[in-house]
Amino acid sequence: MARKASPARLVIALAVAGVLAVFLLYTSIAGGGNPSLAPSELAGRTGDVQLAGRVVGPIRGDSHAGGLRFRLEDISGERRTSVAVLYTGSVPDLFKAGRDIVVDGELQKGTFVAQPGSMITKCPSKYAPKSDSA
Amino acid sequence: MPELGRAALLVTLGLSLYALVAGAMAAHLGRRRLARSAQNALVASFATTVVGAAVLLAALLRNDFSFTYVARTTSEALPTAYTISAFWGGQEGSLLLWLLVLTGFGAAAVSLNRGWARDLIVWVVPVFAAVSTFFAFLLVVVASPFATQAAPPDGAGMTPSLQNPYMLAHPPLLYLGYVGLTVPFAFAIGALLSGKLDERWLIATRRWTLFAWAALGVGQLLGSHWAYVEVGWGGYYAWDPVENAALMPWLAATAFLHSVMIQERRGMLKVWNVLLVLLAFSLSLFGTFLTRSGVVNSIHSFTQSSIGPWFLAFIAVVVAVSLGLVFWRLPQLRSPTRLESPVSREAAFLYNNLLLLALTLAIFWGVVYPMVSEALRGEAVVLGRSYYDFFLRAFGLPLLLLMGIGPLIAWRRASLRSLGTTFRWPTGVALATGAVLLLLGAGSSVPGLVAYTFSAFVLATITLEFVRGTRARKVLGAASWPAAFGSLISRNRRRYGGYIVHAAIVMLAIGVAGSSAFDTVTEAKLARGDSVEIGDYTLVYRSLDENVTANATEIRASLAVRRGDRDLGVVRAGKNAYTVEDQVSNEVGIRTDRLTGEDLFVIAEQIDPDGSVYFRVFVKPLVNLIWLAGLVFLLGSLITLWPDRREQRRLVARAAEAGIPATP
Amino acid sequence: MTLALVLAAALAVACVVAVALPFIREPEPESDSLDELDEDERRRLALLEERDRALGALKELEFEHRTGTVSDEDYRAQLGPLRRDVASALQALGRDGREGRPTGGRT
Repeated sequence: MARKASPARLVIALAVAGVLAVFLLYTSIAGGGNPSLAPSELAGRTGDVQLAGRVVGPIRGDSHAGGLRFRLEDISGERRTSVAVLYTGSVPDLFKAGRDIVVDGELQKGTFVAQPGSMITKCPSKYAPKSDSA
Repeated sequence: MPELGRAALLVTLGLSLYALVAGAMAAHLGRRRLARSAQNALVASFATTVVGAAVLLAALLRNDFSFTYVARTTSEALPTAYTISAFWGGQEGSLLLWLLVLTGFGAAAVSLNRGWARDLIVWVVPVFAAVSTFFAFLLVVVASPFATQAAPPDGAGMTPSLQNPYMLAHPPLLYLGYVGLTVPFAFAIGALLSGKLDERWLIATRRWTLFAWAALGVGQLLGSHWAYVEVGWGGYYAWDPVENAALMPWLAATAFLHSVMIQERRGMLKVWNVLLVLLAFSLSLFGTFLTRSGVVNSIHSFTQSSIGPWFLAFIAVVVAVSLGLVFWRLPQLRSPTRLESPVSREAAFLYNNLLLLALTLAIFWGVVYPMVSEALRGEAVVLGRSYYDFFLRAFGLPLLLLMGIGPLIAWRRASLRSLGTTFRWPTGVALATGAVLLLLGAGSSVPGLVAYTFSAFVLATITLEFVRGTRARKVLGAASWPAAFGSLISRNRRRYGGYIVHAAIVMLAIGVAGSSAFDTVTEAKLARGDSVEIGDYTLVYRSLDENVTANATEIRASLAVRRGDRDLGVVRAGKNAYTVEDQVSNEVGIRTDRLTGEDLFVIAEQIDPDGSVYFRVFVKPLVNLIWLAGLVFLLGSLITLWPDRREQRRLVARAAEAGIPATP
Repeated sequence: MTLALVLAAALAVACVVAVALPFIREPEPESDSLDELDEDERRRLALLEERDRALGALKELEFEHRTGTVSDEDYRAQLGPLRRDVASALQALGRDGREGRPTGGRT
């Protein structure tokens, strides 16, 4: 049959290397994603983060005009810190006080300013994929 | 009656355990009656699981709230169809469905192949039994559907979002897919254990794998359609872990289905094939683990339950044992046939494997990375949509192109000249299509334009194959063109069924590219009489109506749709407020343009007390090709699955020649 | 409750019977050993698969030539090697057949 070191082997190896290079390319361009934090971990953090917490009322305002205002507290643990959130954009149906949500944004001067439309609610019951991301 | 259910599952556990131990002993020691006894146990375990399932179903149908499960998932008012779907709506019931399908498939696979692959079956039985022992154990010890309580006056009811026809089809189809992958896995491990690494394990499981793969594919498309029309956030796939949980095994199974063709034709890629089937099965276990364990801290997590660690342990054992077996049998798996050229059909299939594997691993990493980073750094990191989109394009676009190259490129070594003649016409068509689309403005999205161009290439190759094949059959003496076409497909089911499936994937790619790379969106707050424009549509907000039904208040905003001066009817969007469950659901309005496959998608995001509504409107070009692709996919899969008596006869004859008795 | 227990007991008994059936049917069989493929049969099966693989490749070449995927030149070039593959597979089978015939027709 063919010689031991056939060119085909080399090309396959190059193909695998190519695939790995794609992975490397991605991580070098886009970095490793945003941290996901609870409200109690938010203090002092700068930059874009994802905040995961439970909605605490009262809920005021209009997300499509001026912004929706509410507070988020930790889902679990005894620390009952809560942080003020200002949200604009689409609000998922399941949103209400007591629901667990995640929202992307940045802490600005004590208020977490959310990226428009980034809110996603956790489904309260078993077995229902329910996503309201923009 | 719960006692009967519990007893039935206990007997199932006992039978599975017996089949495992006795089957392993019989295979190792070569004891015929013991082997038969183990097989009987496997088949009997299906019967006992049916009894258990019947008990649960009966309890659901008569609203017996003394069953904790029934009280948790249904209520008196729930329509019968959804009461049935509650069977798989919760943790315990869905596990029972899994076991039911598993034991059913096991009984069938063993019985159907007993005749001509008996020496292989003796090893398959204990492997299958090991898997069903695990699930039976879960059902008896960890998550029993037959727990009882003092019956409350009414049940907790089912989430409104689950009360739709999709719930009747989507989970069962996915289960047929997930569980179906157990069959090729069991046969592969059986082949490794017995050292019988001939083709028979591939042939025995080919249709099972196809069936499971098709079910998984259709199940996912149904889920996407559900997300699109019912959940209504404007998309059909969110790269959520639960969605990926079904996509990953499907991709691995796709690689497996293609790779086995190379083993059949050239005897190569044997190690790849056992590893791919192991990957597909492990991912299906991992997928169901993700979906039920609550370990993924994302929007789709369900109740935190104790079942997670059991699954993880089982997956770890499966992977460790299987890899050990592969390593042990490595010398026998090595094939003497070498890859001759990087430009050949064998190489194309190898690239196909690599790309599908890379895409699967990229998605896997996206799912697992948040958990890993949380464990290592105490901080969960999330990878968003852009991560998945990047890899879908990086690996998916070359895969699309390969669909057109693979079937036509020469075996062993393709010369430059043969490449030229084979691909001249499809390349020309693709470039011309690309140029035309560029002129029409498709340059706004480079990946979209590339996807369209590649799709044109693949469609051209498929058309070429059908036309040339039909012509060849006509020359051979077919009575008419339709007869030639029909006989072409019926005599070459795998090839042409496969081409139809490829055409479906291309349609899917076009639909996805159109609706995600070339869509438009606009938002506006409208009072009655106001209008908003998007694309070449004009929508005028006419009225707001309220309708009170038995369990909800339905609010709908009606918009009149116009294109230029043509009246295109009315689109209605709004919300349903469910009184008992105290939940609000989004009810989107969709207007489908039948000619272009384009959707006008309207969400009534916010309805103010004064009657003004905040609307979000999308125009999604070509999105309906996605759903049409599902039908074409189903057609192609059916053709490929269809039993081939000629092939069957040939296999039986070959078995007889080798001295293997063909009677059960 | 008692009905459930009776049914459960009946189910368990039925399963025990099903499992014991092979032993009940043949309390003292002639041979209890499994139909295993011996060396000869395994080799023969491998050779048969080799033959079918070669034949399949030849058939596919014919098909693809007829439909025009493979040009006349390439067809002529590939035909020789593939025919040789089939011939050598058939030769190997023939040699094997002369040396040791597997005992077919076992139950």
